[in-house]
Amino acid sequence: MKIKVLSLLIAATLSQSLAADIPRTANGKPDLNGNYNTATLTPLQRPIAFGDSLYLSKEAADKIVAAVAAEKAEGDKQIDGDREAPPAGGDGSQGAAGNVGGYNSFWIDNGDSRFEIDGKFRTSIIYKPDNGRLPKMLPVAQKRLSKLYARYAKKNTGSAWWLETDGPGPYDGPESNTPSDRCLQGFGSTGGPPMMPVLYNNYKQIIQSEDHIMILVEMVHDVRTIRLNSEHISRDIRKWMGDSIGHWEGDTLVVDTTNFTDTPGFGRATRDLHVVERFTLKEDNTLHYQFTAEDPNTWSEPWSGEYPWPRSDSPVYEYACHEGNYAMGNILRGARILEAETTQKAKN
Amino acid sequence: MTLIRIFIIVSAMAVTYFSSQVLAHHAFSAEFDPNRPLVLKGPVIRVEWVNPHAWIHLEHTTEAGEKEVWMVEGGTPNTLLRRGVNKNTVKPGTYIIVDGYQSKDRSNRANGRNITLADGKKLFMGSSGTGAPKDGADKKR
Repeated sequence: MKIKVLSLLIAATLSQSLAADIPRTANGKPDLNGNYNTATLTPLQRPIAFGDSLYLSKEAADKIVAAVAAEKAEGDKQIDGDREAPPAGGDGSQGAAGNVGGYNSFWIDNGDSRFEIDGKFRTSIIYKPDNGRLPKMLPVAQKRLSKLYARYAKKNTGSAWWLETDGPGPYDGPESNTPSDRCLQGFGSTGGPPMMPVLYNNYKQIIQSEDHIMILVEMVHDVRTIRLNSEHISRDIRKWMGDSIGHWEGDTLVVDTTNFTDTPGFGRATRDLHVVERFTLKEDNTLHYQFTAEDPNTWSEPWSGEYPWPRSDSPVYEYACHEGNYAMGNILRGARILEAETTQKAKN
Repeated sequence: MTLIRIFIIVSAMAVTYFSSQVLAHHAFSAEFDPNRPLVLKGPVIRVEWVNPHAWIHLEHTTEAGEKEVWMVEGGTPNTLLRRGVNKNTVKPGTYIIVDGYQSKDRSNRANGRNITLADGKKLFMGSSGTGAPKDGADKKR
């Protein structure tokens, strides 16, 4: 009798977990249709200070959110209307701002909170390896990336420094610029896979049918089309966001992606990148996004991450990047002028 | 956890966030010349509400009294739309002050490090997040 009751209880629990209280399509699959805002203040990689701690206390999470809000408020403050021009030679700003200043905070939309999973704040999106950081990079990858990123390591001095180096210059033509600067692919792996939160345009739209899932990525209008219950296409055919096939495992959509080009959205990887993603709709109306990435040319081991995609009422706006990309012309014309000046100086 | 430890971790988080974005988007360094700083002052003529970046056109008057039309680069209009700012918010005729650097191609284009009204109030405010590359305008930051 006891065994029978126990069996019934187990069966009831199982059927409950299989039939989560979530919206479903006519054929009974979780209904993923809709828009999501994937912005989060939680970083991809865990700061080293946290060691192997996956979780963040609420106190620490609140502090970080408050610090970001304070910085935002600082950026909004009134400044001197009668101000001088910034310093000649550059303002010393780093990274993307490139010694000339970048976006002010009003253009940025990277979220205002840190995500929780099962009621616990996380220190990073990556949860495997245990330190929450990308695995050790293989020597071949280090060599490849140091060459690739040499141009970005160069300080912007307003000169044609590349004339003093061997090989093609970084701004010889449109093709020598990155896919994101060319509006071909969103930066920071926003379209992925794996799909990452970035500085802005973090909205996604999912359209679902019985045999396809489409994910529209606001940044650069990237569109992923996932064929369900299908086979990968020939390895000879390569795509910007790879070739994605999917299937349902219970209520979880599992997507397998291969066949990348030489420039996957996740910039450190190569054409041999392989990504498996798992999308699970939760009863709190968020889409749980989990992924594992591996690349035999890049990392010493596979790595995994996860973060929730909350539903959003906001429409996904058009991002016709190429049409208004005046920056490309400015960059190429500017490079030609700097080269001519440098050559002229050398002659004199 | 002590407050000091939390402070250290918060700082580490910020550094990690910014450094993760370093290689994300570098066009500004390729596009603008650090040796050509400027301040532009004048009325807005029109706003190109285009992606990837909005461009604000203004009529600047030089010290010699000549009028020049300049274009100033901002960020994506998508973010502003979500904050209730649209192309009708910045009306032609609005007097603005911009500090930044001229485009390397020597055309009348510049980046908008700071775009303010005459009294220094920021033209756009109320962002829902930060993470912007530091613009270096405020020495305290």
